[in-house]
Amino acid sequence: MNIWKISIKNLFHKPLYTVLSILSLTISIALLISIKQLDTSIQQQFENNLGNVDMVVGAKGSPLQLVLASVLHIDNPTGNIVYKDAKKLAKNPLIKTAVPISYGDNYKGYRIVGTTDTFAKLYDVKINKGKDFSKPMEAVLGYDVAQKTGLELGDTFLSSHGLNDDMGHEHPETFIVVGIYAQTHKVIDRLITTPLESIWDVHNHHSEEDGHAEEQHHHDDEDHHYHEEGNKQITSMLVKFRNPMGLITIPRQVNEKTAMQAAIPKYEIERLFNFTGIGVKAISWIAYIILFISSIIIFINLYKMVKERAFDLALLRTYGASNFQLIEIVAIEGLITSLIAIVFGITLSQLGLLYIFNILGKQYQQSIPSTLELYNVFQIILWVLLVVVVAILFAVIPILKMNVSKILTDEK
Amino acid sequence: MIKTKNLTFQYNSNGDLFHFPDIDLRDEESLLVLGKSGIGKTTLLHLIAGLLQPKSGSVTIDDVSLQTLKNKKLDQFIGKHIGLVFQKNYANRSLNVIENLQARLYFSKQKQNKSHIENLLKTLNILECKTKKINELSEGQLQRLGIALSVVHQPKIILADEPTASLDDDNCKIVLQLLLEQSKLNNANLIVITHDQRIKPMFKNILEL
Repeated sequence: MNIWKISIKNLFHKPLYTVLSILSLTISIALLISIKQLDTSIQQQFENNLGNVDMVVGAKGSPLQLVLASVLHIDNPTGNIVYKDAKKLAKNPLIKTAVPISYGDNYKGYRIVGTTDTFAKLYDVKINKGKDFSKPMEAVLGYDVAQKTGLELGDTFLSSHGLNDDMGHEHPETFIVVGIYAQTHKVIDRLITTPLESIWDVHNHHSEEDGHAEEQHHHDDEDHHYHEEGNKQITSMLVKFRNPMGLITIPRQVNEKTAMQAAIPKYEIERLFNFTGIGVKAISWIAYIILFISSIIIFINLYKMVKERAFDLALLRTYGASNFQLIEIVAIEGLITSLIAIVFGITLSQLGLLYIFNILGKQYQQSIPSTLELYNVFQIILWVLLVVVVAILFAVIPILKMNVSKILTDEK
Repeated sequence: MIKTKNLTFQYNSNGDLFHFPDIDLRDEESLLVLGKSGIGKTTLLHLIAGLLQPKSGSVTIDDVSLQTLKNKKLDQFIGKHIGLVFQKNYANRSLNVIENLQARLYFSKQKQNKSHIENLLKTLNILECKTKKINELSEGQLQRLGIALSVVHQPKIILADEPTASLDDDNCKIVLQLLLEQSKLNNANLIVITHDQRIKPMFKNILEL
C-alpha cells in the first residue's frame, strides 16, 4: 500500500464523480486540440497551395476572387487577359518565372488547366508515372485526380465545359493521359494540366461547331501560326519574383498602368483568414470556458472528497501520515484525473479530426495533411495542468487547517 | 511506559481550564479512566496521543517527551507508537480490510507483512473478511477491524475512547477481552477511557476524573 494506490482506490470508489471530472476535461481538451489543429492544418494547406506564387495577374475584379480562382482553384475566374500583354509583363527583369494558365473546363469536377511546363515547377512536383505533356491534348493528372477518377496512363477522357461537374456539355475532343504527378499536398494534386494549346483548340472547335463564339474562350478560327499569340487569351498568369523588390513595384505598376489586375496571394489569404479567424476564435473561447468549468468541477470533486472524508484523512494523521502526504493523496487524484482526460482528449480529437478531414478532403477534392504541432499540444496540456493545479491548491486548504482532535471528537 | 505530569489544557483563552491527574504506567500496565461526559476524558486521551498540545505539563512515552517533538517527527512518533480505538469504528471506505491495515502500516513506516496481518485477523476472528469492503462488514466485524487497526503496527500504547459505549453486555465483554489480550500480545500499555461502569471489574488500575 502506498499513496498512489490509496489515491487510485479513492478515485474509483465513487466513479460517477470521477467520470464526470474526466468527461468534462476530456471534452475541453479535445475541443482545444481539434480547433487548433484544424486551424493550423487549413492555414498550412492554404499556404501550401500558394506554392511559389508571389503574384497573380488576371482580369480586373476582386483580387481575392482572382487568388481563389487562379491560385487555389476554388472560385470562378474574373475574366480573361490578352496573352500578349501578359508576356510583355513577364519580360520584367524582376520576374523570375511567369506561368500562363488558362482554364474553363473540367473532368468529373477536376479542373483542366492549360499551362506550360513551368507550372509544375511552381509546386516542386515531379512526375510519378509517365512523362510530362508535350503536345496539345496530352494531359498530366494530379495525384488525387488519378486516385479518385481511376484514370491510368494511356486512358482518354472528354472534358466538360465549365468548372463544376454538372455545369456544361462535353467537348468532343479527347484528352490522353500521359503522366501522373507525385503527391504534393498542394493544389496541383487536384488539377489536370495540359498545354495551353489544348484549351485553345477545344474552344476553337467548339465555337466552330456551335457557330457562335463564346466571349471567354474566343479566339479566331484562322491560322494559329499567322496570328502567333496575337489575340490569344489566357485566364491569368502566376508570377514568382526574382527578389522582394518585385513585390513592391510590379503589382502597383500592373494595377495602375495596364488593363490587368495584380493580386498578392499571401496578402489575400491573410485577409480571408481574418474573416474566418473569428469562428476559430469563438470556438477556442468556448473550449477555454469549458476548461474553466471542468476545473471547477474537479475542484468541487476534490473539495467534496476532502470534506466528506475529513474523518478518513484525520484517521490517516493518527496513523503517522503528515499533512503533506494527505495533500499528496488529493493532488495525485487530481493529476490522475487530468492525465486520463489528456489521453482521452487527444485520442478523441484525433478521431474527430480524422472524420472531419475525411469530409473536408472529399469536398475539397484534395487530401489535406493533418498537422499537429507538438508545441500547440504542449501549450494546451500546460493550460490544463495549470487549472488542475489551481483546483488542487484550493481543494487542499481544509487539510492545512485540519484539526485532527476536533474531527475525531465531533465524528464520535 | 507512559508518564504524564501536571497536564492542563484550555480550548480557548477564556474557556475552562482542565487539570488532569498524573498518570504513571509501567510497561504492559493497563488503566481505566472513568468519568462523566464533558469532564475532559477525550481531551486527556488526545493529549496522550499527541493530537492536542497541553497548556502546561508534559506527556512522556518511553522517555520521549511529546512536547519536544514537532510536526513530522511528532506525526511519525504517534503513528508508530500509539494505536487508537474509537467508539464508532471507522476505516477508509475505498479500501478493503487488508488494504486498510496495509495503509496503517505504510503511514507508520512499517513492513506490510501480509502473514502478520492475516495472523492478526485470525486472532480477531475476521480472517474471512480480509478482502471485504468496509461497508460490507457487520457492526461486530467493524469493531474487530478497529482493534486490528490499533494494534497491527505493534504500538507501545493502545488508547481506547469509549470502545464499549454502544455495545450490549456480551459484546462489551468480548471487545474488552480482545483489547486486553492484544495489549498483552504486543507488550503495550492499554488506556481505556469511558463512562461505562460495566468494565470497571476488568481493570486493576482505575483513575476517576
